[in-house]
Amino acid sequence: MITGPIGTTRRAQRGMLREWRLHALSVFSLAVAFVCLGAALLVVSNLQAVEDRWAHAGRASIYLKDNATQDDVEAFRSALGKVPGVTHVKYLSSGQARAEFGAEEVPIHPELAALPIEAFPASIEIEVRPDMSDAELAAIVAKVHQLPAVDDVETYRAWTDRLASLVRGGVAASILLALVVLAAVLAVVGSTIRLALQRRSIEVEVLRLVGATDGFVKGPFLIEGSAQGALGALGALGLLAALFGMVRARMDGELSALIGVEPSFLPWQMAAAMVVLGAVLGAVAAMLGLRKLVAV
Amino acid sequence: MPRTDDDAPPAPFRPLLRQGARFGREAAERPILMFEDVYKSYRPGAPVLRGMNLVIERGEFVFVTGASGSGKSTLLRMLYRAETVDQGRILFMGRDVARLTADSVPFLRRNLGVVFQDFKLVKSWTVFENVAIALEVLGLPSRLIRARVGEALERVGLQGRGEDPAGVLSGGEQQRVAIARAIVGEPALLLADEPTGNLDPQLALDILGLFEEINESGTTIFFATHDRSLLDVRPRRLIVLDEGKAVDVAGAMSPPFPDQYASLPH
Repeated sequence: MITGPIGTTRRAQRGMLREWRLHALSVFSLAVAFVCLGAALLVVSNLQAVEDRWAHAGRASIYLKDNATQDDVEAFRSALGKVPGVTHVKYLSSGQARAEFGAEEVPIHPELAALPIEAFPASIEIEVRPDMSDAELAAIVAKVHQLPAVDDVETYRAWTDRLASLVRGGVAASILLALVVLAAVLAVVGSTIRLALQRRSIEVEVLRLVGATDGFVKGPFLIEGSAQGALGALGALGLLAALFGMVRARMDGELSALIGVEPSFLPWQMAAAMVVLGAVLGAVAAMLGLRKLVAV
Repeated sequence: MPRTDDDAPPAPFRPLLRQGARFGREAAERPILMFEDVYKSYRPGAPVLRGMNLVIERGEFVFVTGASGSGKSTLLRMLYRAETVDQGRILFMGRDVARLTADSVPFLRRNLGVVFQDFKLVKSWTVFENVAIALEVLGLPSRLIRARVGEALERVGLQGRGEDPAGVLSGGEQQRVAIARAIVGEPALLLADEPTGNLDPQLALDILGLFEEINESGTTIFFATHDRSLLDVRPRRLIVLDEGKAVDVAGAMSPPFPDQYASLPH
């Protein structure tokens, strides 16, 4: 069958090849818009990874003074185990802390193996109920601070809050950029399709005269619009991947030490969603651009 | 529409029918085209057609002529529904063209062939593509389309020219491609709106001869022209549009024309 999806796609392909300069310009413009969106999504996805890494909600580290005795530690552990809401208590000596740190960080930064044991204070790691409120945890922390053997208490809340705020900001920025991309796709694809329609007006007129239905006439243009959107998104992903590779090659070690996680490119689901979004928006923009298709 | 697999031989072509419709023998006895009391005006108080009545039988070759602005093109445009009538009926194969909905117009046009003065070809397409499009809209298999287009090009004397871009053809060849496109779907009625207007006299006669060959195979031809030389050379039934009405010039099967129409441009 020469009509149906295959015939329509073939006619769309013919149209795009004959007007390739026009479509190339449109795809490039869309790629620029999608790069902005992709960059925002890249930052957000990595921030979320950092948040997951550092979110010790429901956890606290109680650092002990150097002069804390073993009896102090045992008494402390026993008392903490009886506090409502505390689910797990673990003592980490200086040596154990250094060994844990070495296992995580030394493979990345071998120079850190030279750090002395004094750099790793002993601590008691506690885990609390995940549903414990900030106020309850703050009350426990306040009481623990008053104990003579305690040097400092780290709840990681500040980091978590700051990261969550960053992630929220990133999501908001992504939504805004998505709207910008939406507007860009509608404007660019709509204009391109209207221009293509004008340049192929004789073709449309002939189609009408030989008895083509609206769907037969519009089908190839809808496919062209969808293809522009998808190709624009794909182009943006390619460009973003290249830029990401360049940045990562230059700053790999510093970046991962700074944020505590390996930076990663967009998850494939997000990349696929961008391409699908581009295709759908392109088709919608083409449909809007064809509203004023003149009847013969 | 019979759908054939690519491996099967091409089936005989039959025009499309609406679902539930059927051919009736009595339809073959009726005139193919009837204009009943047709009114059309573009400006208030200055109708182009006023109460026009006309009957065209199947298989006829009819010239339509008249002064500039008499409504020749309007008549044809109403037939393929590029214009609508203000009043009256236009019955094509028993259906009132004026009452068709917009969705039905493509199906009307699939049963008509139209040839224009400016050819209306897509210059960037090949000859084959320009002709094949009339069958592509019908959803025919590609094998059948290739066969039908080949036959149509042979009929108009352009066999072997399928791969040539339409834009490089001469005026006469382009008009032949347009005629091939108009007949490839084997329409019941072929409309020609000044098809020789852009051609020299010899080419015009060649094209007219082509129309006559098509008519001999049974297709009804409705040929609008102001070219008097064609009317003189090929005596046919002649309709003159005069003051908004169609006048069947009786006895005009051969020149000279009645005195009142002697002033027609030629």
